[in-house]
Amino acid sequence: MTDQAVSSASPRLPAVPGVAVALAGLSLFFALASPGFLTAGNLSNVLVQSVILLLLALPMTLIIMTEGLDLSMGAVLTLASLVLALIVVATQSLALGLIGALAVGLAFGLVNGWLIAGLSIPPFVATLGTLGAAQGLALVVSDGQSVVGIPRFVRLVYSGETFGIPTPILIGAGFYALFHILLYHTRFGTYVCALGGNRDALTLAGVAWKRLLVAVYMLGGAMAGVAALLMTARINAGHPTAAIGLEFDAIAAVALGGTSFDKGNGWLFGTLLGVLTVGVLRNGLNLMAVPSSVQVACIGALVIAALLVDSLRSTRS
Amino acid sequence: MSIASDATTRPVGLHLSRETQQLAYRLLAVALLCLALSVATEAFFTANNILNVLRQASLLFFLASGLTLVILTGGLDLSVGANIGVSACFAATVIKATGSPVLGTLTGLATGLVIGICNGLMVAKLRIPSFIATYGMLWVLHGITYYYMAGETIHGFPPGFRQIGSGYFLGVPIPVYLMLGFLLAGTIFAQRTIWGQQIYAIGANPVAARLTGIPVDRRLILVYAFSGAMAGVASIVFLARLNSAEGDIGEAMTLPAIAAALIGGASLFGGVGSVFGTFIGALILTLVLNGMNLLAVNANWQPLVTGLIVILAVWFDMVGRRRT
Amino acid sequence: MSALMAIKPDFDTTSPPPAAAEGTPLFELRGISKTFPGVKALDDVSFALWPGEVHMLLGENGAGKSSLMKVLCGAYQADAGEYFHKGEKVEIGSPADARKLGIAVIFQEFSLVPYLDVAQNIFLGREFPSRIPGLVDRRRLYREAQAVLDLIGLDIDPRTKVHTLGVAQQQMVEIGKALSQNARILVMDEPTAALSDRETERLFAVMRQLQEKGVAIVYISHRMAEVFALGDRITVLRDGKLVGRARPGQTTPDELVRMMVGRTVDMSYPRNFAQKPGEIALEVRGLSSKNGIRDIDLTVRAGEIVGLCGLVGSGRSEVARAIFGADEVTAGEISIFGKPRRGGPDAATMAGVGLIPESRKTEGLALIRTVADNLAVAGLPKLFPNKLFSPAQARRSAEELIKRLRIVTPSPNQSVALLSGGNQQKVVIGKWLAAGTRLFIFDEPTRGIDVGAKSEIFALIDQLVADGAAVLMISSEQAEIVHVCDRAYVMRGKRIVGELSRSELSEENIVRMGMHHD
Repeated sequence: MTDQAVSSASPRLPAVPGVAVALAGLSLFFALASPGFLTAGNLSNVLVQSVILLLLALPMTLIIMTEGLDLSMGAVLTLASLVLALIVVATQSLALGLIGALAVGLAFGLVNGWLIAGLSIPPFVATLGTLGAAQGLALVVSDGQSVVGIPRFVRLVYSGETFGIPTPILIGAGFYALFHILLYHTRFGTYVCALGGNRDALTLAGVAWKRLLVAVYMLGGAMAGVAALLMTARINAGHPTAAIGLEFDAIAAVALGGTSFDKGNGWLFGTLLGVLTVGVLRNGLNLMAVPSSVQVACIGALVIAALLVDSLRSTRS
Repeated sequence: MSIASDATTRPVGLHLSRETQQLAYRLLAVALLCLALSVATEAFFTANNILNVLRQASLLFFLASGLTLVILTGGLDLSVGANIGVSACFAATVIKATGSPVLGTLTGLATGLVIGICNGLMVAKLRIPSFIATYGMLWVLHGITYYYMAGETIHGFPPGFRQIGSGYFLGVPIPVYLMLGFLLAGTIFAQRTIWGQQIYAIGANPVAARLTGIPVDRRLILVYAFSGAMAGVASIVFLARLNSAEGDIGEAMTLPAIAAALIGGASLFGGVGSVFGTFIGALILTLVLNGMNLLAVNANWQPLVTGLIVILAVWFDMVGRRRT
Repeated sequence: MSALMAIKPDFDTTSPPPAAAEGTPLFELRGISKTFPGVKALDDVSFALWPGEVHMLLGENGAGKSSLMKVLCGAYQADAGEYFHKGEKVEIGSPADARKLGIAVIFQEFSLVPYLDVAQNIFLGREFPSRIPGLVDRRRLYREAQAVLDLIGLDIDPRTKVHTLGVAQQQMVEIGKALSQNARILVMDEPTAALSDRETERLFAVMRQLQEKGVAIVYISHRMAEVFALGDRITVLRDGKLVGRARPGQTTPDELVRMMVGRTVDMSYPRNFAQKPGEIALEVRGLSSKNGIRDIDLTVRAGEIVGLCGLVGSGRSEVARAIFGADEVTAGEISIFGKPRRGGPDAATMAGVGLIPESRKTEGLALIRTVADNLAVAGLPKLFPNKLFSPAQARRSAEELIKRLRIVTPSPNQSVALLSGGNQQKVVIGKWLAAGTRLFIFDEPTRGIDVGAKSEIFALIDQLVADGAAVLMISSEQAEIVHVCDRAYVMRGKRIVGELSRSELSEENIVRMGMHHD
């Protein structure tokens, strides 16, 4: 772990990041409480179920690092999923469908980025507005109905195996690696950190940061497009409220993972742990037959706890 | 007076402040919308429809008026819609259990108030940015209602209680009277009390407000508490009108409420806006949505239009700011 | 008026460059002027730099040093004047132009990104491309960063995140960043202010190495010991004008101090010092605060103007903020008119304290609101005891204050942002008058105000004490303190280091006490 940022952030907090403790604690709890939890099949299930969230949480980490936020991601995913479903059903072409979904994501990312970087509209308002727009468009294109008749080759993206490993896990791992390289081994990643940490430093260094900021939001949109493919494959349909509110799980995972809302303090591996924590929580509660409503409240409580730690951490230093 | 030679002097005459001018534009917009809709559809200019518009606007206004005070301080409350859900469900339970609409109403108001106070404490004392604190609160509230209701619906309330939402007095819906009452109360609070003045001062410059001896933390808590309580009011009227409580009844109301405040001239940067402006904003938004309805536009377009209106309103605010 | 004010600039301001510097200068400024509304920040300043010299820049706060730096690095555009690089005329229109000429400026505010590591910060915007397209050559990044750190003798891992470093180390990283850009001209603004003795020595060693390589260094300092130990030449600025050049061997600290402060003070308002101080308005004992000040003792009586002076960063504003309750008090006692003060600014306001902060626009006024709104805001509880606000009454009260303070505004409903600096300051004072304040704390009351308005402000302050109020006044302009204060405390390093009575109050005494003279 060369990019471990959190443990060095504050000497007063324990060296083991809180999210790792939370993940271990929850896993232990469910292992004891539910015999079905600690089986190879179920653990693989947790991973597969976490992939869609991971695809949103990765770009969300970068966005939050720029002191931004994208509330529109769930709605954009939903819209992209519907567009993909409609195209695939009409043309029987996965490639065309994926292009459509990516185009939707990129377009919304561009609009978000332009509103935020170009017009200086606060990120949470700009993306709240585009959330409404995307949600509305989702209702319009689907006319409030599910799009069914998804071909088998699309379903296989979620339920199939490649080299004996469930395909979604490979997709998730691939994108994690890609984001790791992007954040820690490219100029882009360095500048993302500086966008939140000290924009003046970028200006002094002659970097055109507004374009970068737009690119960050477009990346978020594109990832919502990729996630739309998995979502469509998973639910075997395009549904007008499929992923509404999923951005909250993503923000929760990022916040749990120790990325803070100011100064560009981000930690990608923490986001992975955060995603798994949310995944384990949902899976474990499912096994214990706890209704999904309580799951939402549990995640909410976890996030508020994480934000409290974040706020205490920043007031201490 | 030598002042007349000062470069900043403006020509004497009918001098309207910027806010007054903008309010006039908005009233003009209301008039034009009404005119256009009257011409476009026969159904618009009927007593029934006008009263219907006002009743719809009243629900929006309850939520948006509380939100306006929050926005005046430069904050935002994203939890108002979810607040309606919790408050309505709790109120419904109490009415069902005790048969007392009064106790139920008090429960709804108290629930909204407590949620608002929690928001205020997070923002003022823990210094969590308001949109993050209230966004987290939104999901906690969703969780609570989903768990509490478990997908069930509570319905069938005493007729007396239902009057609050669907009754008429002198041919005008009761919620409209409530709206006018809160409009008056809200305007007096914001414009004619020292607390209101202090809230404007906090939004205009929080640092200066603190260094001017304004108890900023207490005023912030007050404002979020007020926003929560107004969500409680909205929940009661909603409950009485729908005659049933479901977990997600207020879910779709947050964005329109923000839109109404922003259309009414409230600035997300704080210090600018008014309860009366928000009243006009709620009217404009309701007229637009009502008009779409009458013109047989698919209701699915409504969130899209609302989202665009929010962005446009913020953008106009930004442009206006840059010019001055 | 003290004899000081009559001193004529008897220093040679046009002397040729010192003998050591021969040939064409590396860089030269000629006739640089820069005016801000109401203030002439730089007035016909000419200034040359030779390779390998350390050029000390001296001046009081507000003398024009930082304006000169900002002009030099392209952050400000001069109104008049020319630049010459190795004898050729050049333009500096932007920070990029300055960088191309090899000028690097190290400001006191840092330009570092907290959650990037040292190496990433040093080479921000100049990352080395790897052989794999799109990636950064991290090995080279850390190697080169290590070389920079070795050069400045900073013993830290280049992979350390900057936010974990102390202020001193961050300062050194800034210096490293400037050096890595191959700066030929390095401008440093009080670089040792935050450094320990050992770090300071290390910095000086690095400076000597740079000198040997022909780098010219402009060094701004308040520390006389440094001026004499490091400087090859000394330039003194005062009120935006170049008032003297000297060489360390040919001058003395006293002479430099006199050059720095010997200004004529244009204040037509004569103060009447005959008043007898009344009851104790403010008593501070052993005050320490989270903001850094330690062990502060001071007393202000009604009818008195007490000065609080010292250099920028000596802790004056922090004392004001702690007394006002804006910063947390960790030890000590504050009593206001005999009653202990607790709580925040709201409690202080109720107790009769008013703060006129240093930054009028960001801390004193709500710029988007009207004159009347701003005048009423502090006095709301007093003006409207039944909590009901009346715009008409607020307007009457505002009109009264406008008349009394002679605020020039077309109407009470004018936006306060459109007033001049002096009138804005009067509005800030006015809001405390409406609140019934009896202890006024002025932090730099005349900053950014033109000369005519200054004497009006002083007349107002004098009127306040004549009416029985108490005033604590912070000012960087020693002449002002000398001119209007009954007594003054001098601060250095977050502590009060001395008190000067009316008879001892002189600019030289203030400067001597407030500066490191060792």
